[in-house]
Amino acid sequence: MSEELRVAVDRRNSGAVLYTKGYINNVGGEEIANRAYELMDGGARTLLLNLRETKIVNSIGISILIEIIEKMIDQGGKIAFCCLTPVIHKTFQIMGLANYATIYPDEETAVKELDLQP
Amino acid sequence: MTDTAERQMELILPMVADIEIAAARAAGNLARELGMSGDKIDEMTHAIVEACINAREHSCCADKRIYLRFVGTADGDCSLRIDIWITDHGRGFDVQQARSRRQQLGPAHKRGWGLQIIEAHMDEVEITTSSEGTTIHMVKCEKKS
Repeated sequence: MSEELRVAVDRRNSGAVLYTKGYINNVGGEEIANRAYELMDGGARTLLLNLRETKIVNSIGISILIEIIEKMIDQGGKIAFCCLTPVIHKTFQIMGLANYATIYPDEETAVKELDLQP
Repeated sequence: MTDTAERQMELILPMVADIEIAAARAAGNLARELGMSGDKIDEMTHAIVEACINAREHSCCADKRIYLRFVGTADGDCSLRIDIWITDHGRGFDVQQARSRRQQLGPAHKRGWGLQIIEAHMDEVEITTSSEGTTIHMVKCEKKS
């Protein structure tokens, strides 16, 4: 069965907003990582992941997200998340992702705080 | 006579990529039929996903199957309960060792969170494991006002 994750990227002046749609498992996590690393190689230092259309994640996918956050921190940048379902937010907290990245309730607040206006 | 509605479902699923989604959807549909709220269903489905991944990744079973049973009850005072059994016929594991290994690794280690996620999302979790396989019995409850 296919649960392919799709990632749309909206480049902003200092970074980008990544919109995910679908299941964040190992394959989905790698897809996000590929897009994030391309952006980081291109100079982006602030990434916002909008998970509005992701309703399910697993621990392997989240472990890949933590790897992306760590690489970004190593490069002096930051990654944030917004629009999480309550259970995804809770799972992020269990795995400690919330210790490495800021989680915003909505995109408007996140974009303002992160200076990622279009 | 008791005023109790019960629904049951049994599935045997192959250990293939993303099969955990089929299990989660089946349980979610049963829970929705019983009237469970969306947030409770989401917690339950995430626990099922982790349990199925653990079975697929770690059981090393010969038959490459996951056996699932869901029993949902809604009693007269509007209390909902879903019992879930997820079984593999693999080699089993040491539950205490798995828990203590996770604690020793600490938060910096990124893998091995499945059991913690299951326990955080469910109301009751019981694991029975031996060299002939593992069953994880999980319960999700909801009091309806």
